[in-house]
Amino acid sequence: MSQQAEQTELARSADQPDAGSAGLAGSASHGSPATVSSPARTRLTRRRRIRPARIVMFVTMIAVAVVMLYPLLYIVMTSFKSEVQYELGGGFSLASWRILVSSQPILRELLNSLIVSSCAVALIVVISTAAGFAFAKIRYRGRTLVFVLVVACMFVPLPSIVIPEYVNVSRFGVLDTYWGAIAVYAALGIPFSIFLMTTYFRGLSDDLIEAASIDGVSMWKMWWRLGVPLARPAMFTVAVLQFIQIWNDLLVGLLFLQNINDRTVTVGLALLSSGRVTSIPVLMAGSVMSIIPPIIVYLIFQRHLVRGITMGMGK
Amino acid sequence: MSSSGRAGRMPAGLSMRPASPFRLAGGSGRNWGRSQRGAARAGWVLSLPALAGVAALLVLPIGQAFYYSMTTWNGITSTWVGPDAYLQLFEDPTFLRVLENNGLLLLAMPVVIAIPLGIAFLLHEQIAGWKFFRSAVFLPTAISWVVIGVIAVRFYALHGILNSMLSAVGLGFIKTNMLGSTHEALAALAITLIWSQLGTNTIIFITGLAALDPSLAEAARVDGAGPLTVYRRVIIPQMIRFIQFAFIITVLTAFTAIFSLIFVMTGGGPDYGSTTLEFYVYQQAFSESAFGTGALLGVLLFVIVAGISVVQVRVLRARI
Amino acid sequence: MLRRRSRLIGGLSVIAAAGLALAACGNSSSSGSSGSKITLTFWENYGTQLSLLNTAKNLIHAYEKLHPNVTIKMVSQPANNYFALLQASAISHTGPDLAVMWTGLYLPPYADILANLRPYISQSTFNNIEELQWGAEDFNSSKAILAMPVDAQFYMGFYNKKDFAKAGIKQVPQDWNQLYAACTALKKVGVTPIVYGSASASYTGEFNPWYDFSYLMIGALQPSQWEDLYNGKIAWTSPIVQDQLARWHQLFVKGCVNPDALTDANNLGQFISGKAAMTTDDGSWDVGQFTQEMKGNVGAMPPPFSVAPQHGVVYFPGDAISVMKESQNIPAAANFLAFMDSPAGAAQIAAAGLIPDIKNYQSSNALNSQMLGFVKSGYTVYPMLDNVTQPQIVNVGYQVLPALMVGQTSVASAVNAMYVKHNELPVAQRSSYAAYFGG
Repeated sequence: MSQQAEQTELARSADQPDAGSAGLAGSASHGSPATVSSPARTRLTRRRRIRPARIVMFVTMIAVAVVMLYPLLYIVMTSFKSEVQYELGGGFSLASWRILVSSQPILRELLNSLIVSSCAVALIVVISTAAGFAFAKIRYRGRTLVFVLVVACMFVPLPSIVIPEYVNVSRFGVLDTYWGAIAVYAALGIPFSIFLMTTYFRGLSDDLIEAASIDGVSMWKMWWRLGVPLARPAMFTVAVLQFIQIWNDLLVGLLFLQNINDRTVTVGLALLSSGRVTSIPVLMAGSVMSIIPPIIVYLIFQRHLVRGITMGMGK
Repeated sequence: MSSSGRAGRMPAGLSMRPASPFRLAGGSGRNWGRSQRGAARAGWVLSLPALAGVAALLVLPIGQAFYYSMTTWNGITSTWVGPDAYLQLFEDPTFLRVLENNGLLLLAMPVVIAIPLGIAFLLHEQIAGWKFFRSAVFLPTAISWVVIGVIAVRFYALHGILNSMLSAVGLGFIKTNMLGSTHEALAALAITLIWSQLGTNTIIFITGLAALDPSLAEAARVDGAGPLTVYRRVIIPQMIRFIQFAFIITVLTAFTAIFSLIFVMTGGGPDYGSTTLEFYVYQQAFSESAFGTGALLGVLLFVIVAGISVVQVRVLRARI
Repeated sequence: MLRRRSRLIGGLSVIAAAGLALAACGNSSSSGSSGSKITLTFWENYGTQLSLLNTAKNLIHAYEKLHPNVTIKMVSQPANNYFALLQASAISHTGPDLAVMWTGLYLPPYADILANLRPYISQSTFNNIEELQWGAEDFNSSKAILAMPVDAQFYMGFYNKKDFAKAGIKQVPQDWNQLYAACTALKKVGVTPIVYGSASASYTGEFNPWYDFSYLMIGALQPSQWEDLYNGKIAWTSPIVQDQLARWHQLFVKGCVNPDALTDANNLGQFISGKAAMTTDDGSWDVGQFTQEMKGNVGAMPPPFSVAPQHGVVYFPGDAISVMKESQNIPAAANFLAFMDSPAGAAQIAAAGLIPDIKNYQSSNALNSQMLGFVKSGYTVYPMLDNVTQPQIVNVGYQVLPALMVGQTSVASAVNAMYVKHNELPVAQRSSYAAYFGG
């Protein structure tokens, strides 16, 4: 959908005097202490009529959804074909699923992925929320330098540093536990997450913090009771994006979890796309298994993304 | 700043020239909280875990990689070569060809930002079913690059989905084989990249919208601004930092993280048509066991991506 | 809301604790020997290639029966990044005892982490192995033996007998002109003469040109001259090379090749179903599938990329297994490899459909028999060209040669790219094989 088309739609709706959208009024407000009016209530107070602009927007989103979801559908459908059926077209079969399950301990691998990803993400969220708040809201000497140093680490691609990293970490003898991988994943995810958190915190106005400071609240309480709750959307985004990134990573998992019992699902699936013979349906079946947990993580926590804030402390 | 008749005056307090995402809120004003020193200490303690972790687990190997980039290193033994390694790379004609591809990929960046921004705005409007649409846009982010590449191959194939779609709308005479053409393979790669970054960037922009102060938009509307103007004059300027952020992240992904995608889609070909700098040197590093060369990649890409980031920050800062 | 967040953190802590507990009882990967019981770890990167997997399983089974005190654990590793992983494991001393290794120029970068097997295996076993030198130091089989071959492989073309009959082709083409003629005949009856695609590519998203390129160089040069390609005495830009490549490109110009040669992901399917009559970009790894799905309808055909009748085949043991220098059980591991390359082991390899790499082997599979027959009847044996060419040039070839086939680049610029890369190599890597090993 082109920006052009979108602007035209919005222009069309500009003719109506009550064209203010529910969204603008209903977005998460950090300024007022009261709970924000829900979209439904706002809409009910307006005249109920379907504006052509919203139909166009709706249709556009349908098109977008189709484009985005079609590959997922393809993956699922292909997983239910056998190799022969896939090459010649048509048919339904569980053969590929059987091959997948018999070729590796997929449940064990999913568990390993879950453990490693969750621990790393937990570390990342905590560390980046703390640092993001500090960089954005607290003035102290040297913070810009530290901030730039941390964020600049994001620009170095993984393959370049993975071998020195490996050599270093292997000296600590943690390679047959989860901890080496967790530590490396956390370190790799922190620059991006701090960048996002800091950007987000800076976008929040300082009014509340000023008000709290007048009451003589310490920086600690400020962070814990004010910054963290306000940052829920960003924490969610960091958590989900990092979870998916870590979940789908191959290189670190391959090198830092050499114990076959600790193997993650992405490393396991790499076996399916190795070398000359790749059974696409089996690969797709594996992909289905691998996609489900990140999807569940997203679905469980997505309501944090746009919610009104109920303040724990009064103004 | 010119104002349209309908927008009226802009609410006060809205900074029209947002600072660079790298430069933090300036000024030597006092901190809030009990004492300046207490606040500063809190600041250090809050950012210490990040600093420690990054220093030990990122800065150290980066330094080591920089050292090894000037050696021939296969993980076990190394011989010092010096900056010759870099010079040799610049003399390689294929290297320049490959840099050109990276440059061409940058052309896709406006689209990679604009489409998710538009979608984020649509979702922000909370049209019917917006939660479903938000999930629909984001869920494909969980698909791995290898699988995206496998699907892409079948999409762009001569008897693939793209051609089927074209003939379905009567354009059947165009039989594309983009991945088999030196000049079109990169375009196919760019389109696939746009698709795959849609979810991530949309979520980033939604997060940004969640940080907005709605009173500003409210004030503008009260002054009679239509939605289009509100978006253009009030919301987008507040989103500039997030737009810069998304831009940097996407460039980073395009330049350092799509080896698997390229490998599966085209293997970098035909004739280096879809080889990016990352692919070129990664292949040399890992298939020729020259980790020193791989480290060289890191240094080069760091310089390039950092440079692009700084430039785009200035560019976006200048135009509102 | 605070409660919910603590619940979240609480939940994650439980998972972390569970993870620690599981990790604590995870077994380590080091192989130990307590008493006389020995456990060997074997890393393989065979992916889903059944023939190789079954070969390994058969061999391990048979060997464990003969030696009840030895257990061999097979660990699958992804093929991509496999060698990086192997090197990394050597650095951290967490590597296996046995590991898949490739021969030829894939071997030297890892030579210093592999054990010399010469002291542990009898000379008679070595004498019985075909083309042993490609797993040896400096490619000299009287020096250290670093990798023991698993099976003998062919790069080979195949043809569909029914399609040939339909087009009235009585004799399998043996030179360029006959190939072009066969092309024309096949096109007349609506069959794609030669099909290329990405399905048999081992390393790139487009077809692997080094199978064809090997035969192009067979048509032009003797085996001993291939070393001249390596050290530059015969430049990649020389007329011999360009001439062959031009004729190869003619196949595409004449319409002998499918238009989506670079991107067809279903080329094997098209060959098996008869839509295409020939595939030249192939080898012994597809014999199992062809035999199973085409039965007697398939024949082996050394690609006739030659002006004079072509009598050469690529016959080379590319897949091998090595013992890591770090291993605590080198004698036991070497013993297993000796078994693999003995007649008893050969039976296990053959049972999985592969060709054991021992001298004078007879196969019961029709296609394998036919291919071995070429060797026996005196066809000149060549190695795989990509196994005896510097990796940097092989990578260039992956890029320019497929593009050349379909006309996206010219012969001159393609060979020039390889020539330029050759001159950029350090001198040690373009003089002799021994120099490449660092000796």
